[in-house]
Amino acid sequence: MSAPATAWKQFQSKKKAYLDYAGPWEKKIGSFLTFRPEADPVPGLGAGPLSGLPFGVKDNIAVEGFPLTCGSKMLANVVSPYDATVVARLKAAGAFVIGKTNLDEFGMGSSTDNSALGKTHNPWDIARVAGGSSGGSAAAVAAGLVPFALGTDTGGSVRQPAAFCGVYGFKPTYGVLSRYGLTAYASSLETPGVLSADLDLVRWVFDTCKGRDVHDQTSLDAEALPPKAVKTIAVLSDLADLDPEVKAVYEHTLSVLKDLGYALLPVTLPTLEYAVPSYYTIAMAEASANLARFNGIRYGHRPVYAENPEHLVRQSRTAGFGDEVKTRIMVGTYVLRSGFQDQFYTKAQKVRTLIRRDLQSVFDRADLLLSPAFPTPPFVHGDASMNDFQQKLADKFTVTANLAGVPALAFPAGLAEGLPIGMQFTAPAFGEARLFEAAAAFAARVPVVPCPGTSLDWSK
Amino acid sequence: MYQTVVGLEIHIHLNTKTKAFCGCQAEFGDEPNSNVCPVCLGYPGVLPVLNEEALNQAYVVARALDCSLSKRTLFDRKNYFYPDMPKNYQITQFHDPVGRDGSIQFLSPDGTVKAVRIHDVHLEEDAGKMIHAGDMSLCDYNRAGYSLLEVVTEPDLTSGEDAEAFLLSFQRLVRYLGVSDGNMDEGSMKCDTNVSIRKAGEPLGTKIEVKNLNSTRFIKKAIEFESKRQATALDGGQKLVQETRLWNENRDVTESMRTKEGSLDYRYFPEPDIPPFVPDAAFFQAIEKRQVELPLARRKRLTEAFQLSREQADFVTEGRFVADFFESAAKAAGGGPTAGLAIANWLMGDVQKELNHFGLSLETSPLTADRLAKLQILLDSGRIHIKIAKQLLDAVFEEKKDPEVLLKEKGWEAITTEEQLSPIVDQVFAKNANVVEAVKAGDVRQKGYLVGQVMQATGGRASPALVNALLAKKL
Repeated sequence: MSAPATAWKQFQSKKKAYLDYAGPWEKKIGSFLTFRPEADPVPGLGAGPLSGLPFGVKDNIAVEGFPLTCGSKMLANVVSPYDATVVARLKAAGAFVIGKTNLDEFGMGSSTDNSALGKTHNPWDIARVAGGSSGGSAAAVAAGLVPFALGTDTGGSVRQPAAFCGVYGFKPTYGVLSRYGLTAYASSLETPGVLSADLDLVRWVFDTCKGRDVHDQTSLDAEALPPKAVKTIAVLSDLADLDPEVKAVYEHTLSVLKDLGYALLPVTLPTLEYAVPSYYTIAMAEASANLARFNGIRYGHRPVYAENPEHLVRQSRTAGFGDEVKTRIMVGTYVLRSGFQDQFYTKAQKVRTLIRRDLQSVFDRADLLLSPAFPTPPFVHGDASMNDFQQKLADKFTVTANLAGVPALAFPAGLAEGLPIGMQFTAPAFGEARLFEAAAAFAARVPVVPCPGTSLDWSK
Repeated sequence: MYQTVVGLEIHIHLNTKTKAFCGCQAEFGDEPNSNVCPVCLGYPGVLPVLNEEALNQAYVVARALDCSLSKRTLFDRKNYFYPDMPKNYQITQFHDPVGRDGSIQFLSPDGTVKAVRIHDVHLEEDAGKMIHAGDMSLCDYNRAGYSLLEVVTEPDLTSGEDAEAFLLSFQRLVRYLGVSDGNMDEGSMKCDTNVSIRKAGEPLGTKIEVKNLNSTRFIKKAIEFESKRQATALDGGQKLVQETRLWNENRDVTESMRTKEGSLDYRYFPEPDIPPFVPDAAFFQAIEKRQVELPLARRKRLTEAFQLSREQADFVTEGRFVADFFESAAKAAGGGPTAGLAIANWLMGDVQKELNHFGLSLETSPLTADRLAKLQILLDSGRIHIKIAKQLLDAVFEEKKDPEVLLKEKGWEAITTEEQLSPIVDQVFAKNANVVEAVKAGDVRQKGYLVGQVMQATGGRASPALVNALLAKKL
C-alpha cells in the first residue's frame, strides 16, 4: 500500500483535523459543488487498498442521493436516484463519496469557468484556472482534499486539468470503464477517468472499476495486452505552437526518458491537424442529441408558467443552459442536417478512422507515444488569448486518444515558473499497464511535487 | 381515370415481456407512470441495453416477409422534440434495418392473390402518451420504450379495399408468428398510409401521407376519400403539394396537418450507445426455427386437402390456433375431405354456439382437437346420432371430460340392434295396444306416433331407420 493511501485510512478517526485542513483550502479553491465530509463508509466493505478511502466525483457522474448538476442551472435541483457503475464498484470496494466536484457545464470546456454553479481556482495559483472540464476533481486532488477523484474525459477533460494541477490524470481504453451513470456529452468519445497525486491509487481505482457492465453495451472486459516492457517511446518530430514553459519541460522529459534507457523514436502524425475539427464535429453532433432530454418536463429547471408543453421546453432550455452549451448544441444540430452530413459529420468520422490508423502505425513501431498534455501552462481566469476558440485548438494533444479510443495518462513532469506542467503518454488499446509502468519509472527520477501548502499532516 | 397508389407504414408492438432498452414491464393499461425507470425516463447518465428477444422477433418478421436479412444491424437516433418522448430522440434503425427488399402475398377481396413488396423492416422504441386535460398536459411514460416494429411497404396497393385486406392479412401473419397481438384497438398495431393517384402509364403522383388511422376500416375509407379528393383537385386544375394529413373519424375526411416545407429534419446518425449487432449462424438458425407456415399458404393447403369453401377456409385459417385445432381434429377424424368438412361445420356451428354460451374462446375451452375428433368418430361409426352428438358436445363443455367417458357415464350409446330395441318396442306396443290395433287395421297415420314413443323411450339413442324397420316387421 502506498503512503498516501495508508494516511487516508485515518480519515474517519481524524475527521476534525481533516476539516480544519480542508475547510480553508476548499474556501480558497472551490473545488466541490456538494461537499459532505461527514459521510461515512459502509462498514465491512472491501479489504483492499481502497477500503475506507473517501473520494470525490465529478458532478456529471451519478451518485445515489447526491445532486447530479453537471454544473448546469438546468440540473441544479436534480438528485440522482442511482449510482454510476464506476461509483458502485468503488463503494463495493469500501471507498465512499464525500463530494461532487465542479466542472464546465456538461463537461464543455477546458477551464471549469463554464460552470454555472461555482468558480474553481487552481490550488497552485488561485488567479489561474484548474483546467477542465474535470477542474474540480483536479483541484480537490491537488489540494489534498481527497486521495483520488473521478472525472470524465471526452477530449482531455481528465488529463488537461490534471496537468494544470500537477497530478495524474488517467483516461482508459474506451469501453473498459462503464459509462453507465456518466451524463452523456459525446457518447462515442468519452469515458470515466481517474485523478490522483498517487499513481498506485490511479491503478487500484482502475482495477476496481474496470470490466464489462451489463448496463453499458459498449463496455468491455480489459483484455490487457500481453505484458511487455516499454522500450521504445514515440515522440512527435513536428511539434509546434508550444508555450516556452511547456517546451522546456517537454525537452527535459525527453532527456530523462533517454536517460532512463528508453529509445525515442521520432514520428509524425499527419492527421493531427485535423484532430480538433474532427473531434468537435463529432462531439457537438452527439451532444445535440444527448442534451435533448433536458427539457424541464420530467426533472430539472422549468419556468413557473408556460402556455403549453412546447413553450415549457423552450423556456426551460433557454434559461437552463449556458452559452457554451447552447453553442455546441446549435453547431451539433447544424452538422447533422440532412444533406450536410457528408460535408461535416461523415467527413469527421472518416478523419477519425485516419487518426486511428495513424496512431496504429505509430504503435506498430513504438510502445508508447509521448506528447505534452496541453500546449500552455495553466492560464489565468478570463485570459483573452485563451478564448473559447483558442482553448479548443489547444486540445489537439488530448483529443487523439478519444478519437482513437486508446488509453492515455497525463503525468506531472515538472514545474515552470512555479506552475505544474504535465506530459502525456498514449498507449495502444488495452495498453494501460504500459502507461503505469513508464510513468512510475519517470516518477522515480522526477518525483511529483506537491502543491505548496498541502499536506497529509492532519492524518498524523 | 386515375389509378390509386398506396403504400403503408405499419407499426406493431412486439410481444416482449420487457421494454426494448430497459427491464421495465411492457404491460398495457397499468397505472400511469408505474412501469418506468431511470432508463426509459431518460435520466442523466443512463444507457440503453437492447432487448435481444425484440431483435429476434424483428428478424422473425423480416424473414417471414422474405426480406434480405441484415448481417450487421445498427441503430440510429432520430432527433425530434416531443413532450412524451423522454430523450427527445428515438432509437430506431435508419441506415441498417433488420430486413430490406421483402415481399408478401395476400388475398384480395376480388379473389386474386396479390403481392406487396416490403421496403424495409426495422426495430425502434415507442414514445409515451400525452393527455391534454383542461389547462394541463399530462404525460404517461408507461409505453415509452416499448419494442416497436415498423414495416414499410412499397407503393404496391391500388385501392382502399386491398389496403384493408392486406392489413388484415398482415395482422394474421404477426399473430401466426406469435410476435404481436396486432390489436388496433389497444394500439398494438398502427398504420400510416401514403396515397397518390396517377393516370395509367404516368409516373407516381404527389404523395400524401395520412395519419391517425385507428382501424382497418378507417384506412380503407381514408384511401377512398383521398383518391377522390386528389382527383377532384387535379381535374379542377389544382396542383397537389406533398403533405401530411390527419383522418378525422367524426367527419370521415382528411385534414391538412403540415406540408413538406414544415416537415422535420430528423438528423439521423448512428446510435453510439449500442454496438452493431452481428448475428451468427446459430442466430439465423433460431430465426428459421421460429418460422411458421404463412397464413395464405396454409389456407391454400387446407382448402385443397379438405375441399373447403371460401367461407370455411376464411374461418379455419383466421388464427393460428384455430387452424392448428382444425387441422389436427380433421386428421384425427380420418383426414379426408369428409372429415375436414365435418370438423369445419362443427367449428363454425355448434362449437361456436357453445363458446358463446360459455363465454369462452377456443383456446380456453375444454374442447380439444382430440375431443372434437372423437366426437366425430363416434358419429361416423354410428355409435351416436347427430342429436346425441350435440348433447355430448354440450356435456364436454359442462363437465370437461372426454366424449367417450361421458358417453359411458350417461349411457347415451346408440341402440343399433334389433335385440336391443325389440323389448322396448314390445313395451311401447303393450302400453299403446289400441294404437297398435288401429295401425294394424290400416290407419298408417298413427304409425308416426308409435315411432315417436319408441324414440322417446330410448332417449333418442335408436336410429329412426332401425325403429321404422322393426315396427314394420312387428306390425
